[in-house]
Amino acid sequence: MSILSIRAVEKTFPGRRGAAPTRALTPTDLEVADNDFITILGPSGCGKSTLLRIVAGLETPSGGEVRLLGTPVTRPGPDRGMVFQSYTLFPWLNVRDNVCFGLRERGVPRAEQREVADRFLAQVGLRGFENHFPAQLSGGMQQRTALARALANDPKILLLDEPFGALDHQTRELMQELLLGIWEQHRKTVLFVTHDIDEAIFMASRVVVMSARPGRIKCDVPIDLPHPRSYKVKTTPRFAAYKERLTEEIRVETIKTLQMEA
Amino acid sequence: MNGLFTPLKPVSPGLRIVLGVSCFVLFFLGWGIATYGGFVRPLFLASPGDSLIAGWALFTEFGFAEDVVVTVWRVFAGFALAAALAVPLGILMGAFKPVEAFFEGFVSFARYLPASAFIPLLILWAGVGEAQKILVIFIGSVFQLVIMVAVIVGAVRADLLEAAYTLGASNRGVVLRVLLPAASPQIFEALRLVLGWAWTYVIVAELVGASRGIGHMIIDAQRFLDTGQMIFGIVVIGVIGLITDLAFRALHARLFPWARGRA
Repeated sequence: MSILSIRAVEKTFPGRRGAAPTRALTPTDLEVADNDFITILGPSGCGKSTLLRIVAGLETPSGGEVRLLGTPVTRPGPDRGMVFQSYTLFPWLNVRDNVCFGLRERGVPRAEQREVADRFLAQVGLRGFENHFPAQLSGGMQQRTALARALANDPKILLLDEPFGALDHQTRELMQELLLGIWEQHRKTVLFVTHDIDEAIFMASRVVVMSARPGRIKCDVPIDLPHPRSYKVKTTPRFAAYKERLTEEIRVETIKTLQMEA
Repeated sequence: MNGLFTPLKPVSPGLRIVLGVSCFVLFFLGWGIATYGGFVRPLFLASPGDSLIAGWALFTEFGFAEDVVVTVWRVFAGFALAAALAVPLGILMGAFKPVEAFFEGFVSFARYLPASAFIPLLILWAGVGEAQKILVIFIGSVFQLVIMVAVIVGAVRADLLEAAYTLGASNRGVVLRVLLPAASPQIFEALRLVLGWAWTYVIVAELVGASRGIGHMIIDAQRFLDTGQMIFGIVVIGVIGLITDLAFRALHARLFPWARGRA
């Protein structure tokens, strides 16, 4: 069953001061099935974040339509949880109150807020840090809190915009395993934007590759690797085969991007 | 990179206090040498000792304590009025761009009107009583504060707002529970700065048509060429300013523990 449908969605940013408008996204279609884990892979500046922000309702498409469970998306809402690449925890709230934020906005009773927050904090391995302020946390811990904050709202779909992009390589791999573990447990539908090929294959049930700007979907590769996946899958021949194919696809696009800039 | 003069390298708390106190010591030393050494005539600059004696006389014989209270009251009344109007208006301007577009031009214009130039008009409108003094401070602070608050609120990180929207916050929720808490440490800092400016306006207000207050005392002392009293009056203002500044800093640390090291 399709939970999210993206139909002919395109985006052109108006040019500033007489400059030509920038076409970020050519009409794009994508159907996301319930429980899917889709990674959108593309070179930087290909419009993959724009597509995700349109789904989130943070950007208005220039054409086309996004529907979540049949309802057109017009504005941001708690049914689409989002984790950003930048650290967006509210610095004046402690970890627990950050996770409670969405529940509080929706008027959930305080006791229930705390109960839900503590459950998700335990799940991302942050038990004992409930009363810390974001400034006291490492980048990885901040992004785990942000993930718990998005999950606590029980969204229909989780939108992740390179959430581990600012983390060091080792932390990043552990975060991927953590997220995958949570997905294997809850089977929450996920749309994950990244430019990291390993990351894209490791977590996904489908990898959607985007072309260089103006972005369009170039190919859609189902990843047929068994679950539960451990980090060891990254050294298997099947993983390597996926990687080889996607590396070729992305390489061509990256070269195009470089030529455009030259 | 261990030198004391490595750019942006912090100093230890102990050294910080020693250096801060030494500046005061040097200041009084220079003042003492200039006066006790006979380099400057007492008519132009009283010695630290004479100023202190003059200050003692002010408190014991001339009821200077009442002047101080009156001046402090004027400053805080004018400042509180200005803050009561400027903070909400600044928040509205920062949050809502149509409000900003409406007020920005006028406030930027009004900001450059010197408060002291209003004194003759204010005397005409409000007489020479308390209302006039308080209004001078109000006019001097309110427009500066509005602009500062509007800029602070407008500069709150957009991604924090976006995060709040994706968590289901309404526009009202975003203003009350994201913009306000995000901006409050810096708004508090702006209040501290503007309170300092309010002190400069109160003295100007008291130089004209006042019967009490530190500024009035200084003008009175000028008539008798009592430089000791004048200097003592000026120093008292500095001391009160220093105390309020320290109080503001302590309160800031208490109210916004999460913003430590950012303000």
